[in-house]
Amino acid sequence: MNIIYINPANLTTFIQQLIMRNKVYPFYFVIGALVLYLLFFVVPSLMGFFYAFTNWNSYSSDVNFVGLENFELIFSAGQGYLHYIANTIVFTVVTIIVKTVIALALAVLLTRGVRRLAPLYRMIIYLPAVLPMLAVSLIFRSILNPATGLLNTGLHTIGLDFLAQKWLVDPSWAMPSVIGVDTWKGVGYLMVIMIAGIEAIPSEYFEAAAIDGANSWKSFRHIMLPQLTPVLAVTTVLNLLYGLKVFDIIFVLTNGGPGHATDTVYTIIFDEFSKGRYGVATALSSLLFLAMIGLGYLVIRVMNRDIEG
Amino acid sequence: MKKIIYATCAFLLVALLIAGCAAPATTVPAPTSAPPTTVPPTNAPAPTQPPAPTQPPAPTQAPTKQNITLTYMASQDWIFDADQALGKKFEEKTGIHIDFQIVPSDQYFNVLKTKLNSGEAPDIFGGQSGVTDLKLQYDVEKNAVDLSAEPWAKQEDPLVTAQSTVNGKLYGLTYWDTLSGGWVINYNKAIFKKYNLSVPTTYAEFKALCQKLLGNGIQPLYEPISDGWHHVLWFPELGPRYEQVTPGLADQLNANKAKFADNPTMLTVLTQLKELYTLGFMGKNALSDAYADRDKIMASGKVAMTVMGTAFPQEVEQAYPDVKADSFGFFVMPLADNQLLNLNPAGPTKFIYSGSKHIAEVKAYFNFLTQPENMQYYIDNNPRALTLPFPGVKSKFTPELQAFMDAHKDKRGTVYQTAVNYVNPQWMDIGKDLVAMFTGTLDPSGVLKNIDQRRTDMAKTAKDPNWQ
Repeated sequence: MNIIYINPANLTTFIQQLIMRNKVYPFYFVIGALVLYLLFFVVPSLMGFFYAFTNWNSYSSDVNFVGLENFELIFSAGQGYLHYIANTIVFTVVTIIVKTVIALALAVLLTRGVRRLAPLYRMIIYLPAVLPMLAVSLIFRSILNPATGLLNTGLHTIGLDFLAQKWLVDPSWAMPSVIGVDTWKGVGYLMVIMIAGIEAIPSEYFEAAAIDGANSWKSFRHIMLPQLTPVLAVTTVLNLLYGLKVFDIIFVLTNGGPGHATDTVYTIIFDEFSKGRYGVATALSSLLFLAMIGLGYLVIRVMNRDIEG
Repeated sequence: MKKIIYATCAFLLVALLIAGCAAPATTVPAPTSAPPTTVPPTNAPAPTQPPAPTQPPAPTQAPTKQNITLTYMASQDWIFDADQALGKKFEEKTGIHIDFQIVPSDQYFNVLKTKLNSGEAPDIFGGQSGVTDLKLQYDVEKNAVDLSAEPWAKQEDPLVTAQSTVNGKLYGLTYWDTLSGGWVINYNKAIFKKYNLSVPTTYAEFKALCQKLLGNGIQPLYEPISDGWHHVLWFPELGPRYEQVTPGLADQLNANKAKFADNPTMLTVLTQLKELYTLGFMGKNALSDAYADRDKIMASGKVAMTVMGTAFPQEVEQAYPDVKADSFGFFVMPLADNQLLNLNPAGPTKFIYSGSKHIAEVKAYFNFLTQPENMQYYIDNNPRALTLPFPGVKSKFTPELQAFMDAHKDKRGTVYQTAVNYVNPQWMDIGKDLVAMFTGTLDPSGVLKNIDQRRTDMAKTAKDPNWQ
């Protein structure tokens, strides 16, 4: 048996190298998972691609090939689908940035700053992540009610009336409110991942930097951030996929309203499916599938280039 | 030792897994168990209720005690205490439990249609009757059971059964008060008297009245928009007025010879509706106001008017006994100077899912509901129902309502969600468009164009010959 001795300080780099060389486990270990994945994810997705080019609907048993008609409908200006795609992109981009920044700040604070009762704070911040989205959304729907909700009532009580808004029913506030609730729920999960990443960085790096006269910001900028790139890549991809697929929080909080102000691609897919317009629904979900694969691949490539560099 | 512990744990986990996968029949309570004590006695059906003079429909089969649970999915505003009490009584009699699955109204149709489309519908599903809805929303010929041979089918009011009939087959039981007038403006008489206001007959009078109320610190209208459906009533319920201004419009729309977007009366109605919202007559929080709060709000006396059914005053009195039913009056929605009463023979209806394993049991449940004493119990214990579309029941019309109905005896018509095809199936979409109109992202003509577009989409999908 060959025994490899690894310096704990170089553990992360070593694992990355092993993964890149693809020598950790033999290929047949993944066959079981791969078959299931192909059967229940890839095959239905490919079938979805086929139906995206048909007029499949609940009113007729005939399924006819209609070419690009469904896609033309989606990309035509008067149909509103572009608005739903734009909403999805806004939600995804903003939640990625806001959640990552806040989670990183909290992770740094609870590893390098606050030491006393840090595990308790971590647990409290992580707690929303274990609550069901439905329960969180229903609670926030009540909290954000402009007339009777806890938030506006509290603001009125302490004299900050000018901050009280019609959170979920004002078109200009509805999406920021949904993003706020999603951030509250999701930030703890990302924070835990980032804490794990920060704690894996050897403390010698920070000590050496301190001896060389680096301040906190420089240590963060030149040591912590580069070392956290793989973790940030993972959280960004997770956030990206989650953002593009967002459904439940919007469905419960606003049901896409007011009007269509918070409708996203998935709420519209659900809407189209419930109307029995399966062809249009599968065209939309196929587009989203391609977008998720493309963007996910792009993010991983960009982040890996940074690692390799 | 460790191996023994691991083996024991593994065995227990497998045993639990197998137990978890076991058939759920063992969890159904024994049929001979006593009726649940949690049911308030006031909700229990009155056993001494004398049967109506007409012949009750005979059940298709004698119900026996069974270990069965029937799932019944409906929108939140369609199930009342009386429904649940009758369900308990049915369970006591047959052992068949009715599991009411109540879905928020703004999500109901999406959830229902998704279940129907994926073949996972409950044993009984609620739906709005109306021939286009039956075909397009629920595809009843595929998804529902033919009820034409049921004993109650021939007793139901023909106007009502027509709305649940497709190609000569009856598919639904409309257990709903569709006969006591439509959605009208219920107004607080005391507020009107205090500010010396009279019932308006034109939109200009109505607007002036609202402005006077608002100027005196009274919110003129309670409009619960958050539910997604209530504010839509202002538009298609004015069908009689559209028909009065443009005779034969419904036929032209159904024949695809007219468009909503080309109709000036419809544009006027939407423009005026937007004005009511913009001027603040619906209050500051109309977009988040909920239908469930209607009784509380109107009983508080802080709001002068709301669009509700004619049974609303009695509903308020039951919830708030200090507020008497006769403290409210009625008038028709005066947008576009409308003075005609809107009637709708269609309403929330019960359907049996064709994929149900318990069709005979559901039929027995429907037969149970249509027994005269049960219908009378429903009317007597449901403030929303003044009558049911069956003979032999005693209605609860007040003198005020009777006078209102008599006054509109020759001034009435059918609402457009029933008279015009492809309108009711897009009710919730119209609701979203109207909210977009209120908030300024869509104008009234845009709302009408969207309605036309959705009608075209539905008609083409349904292969309607008038759209080919």
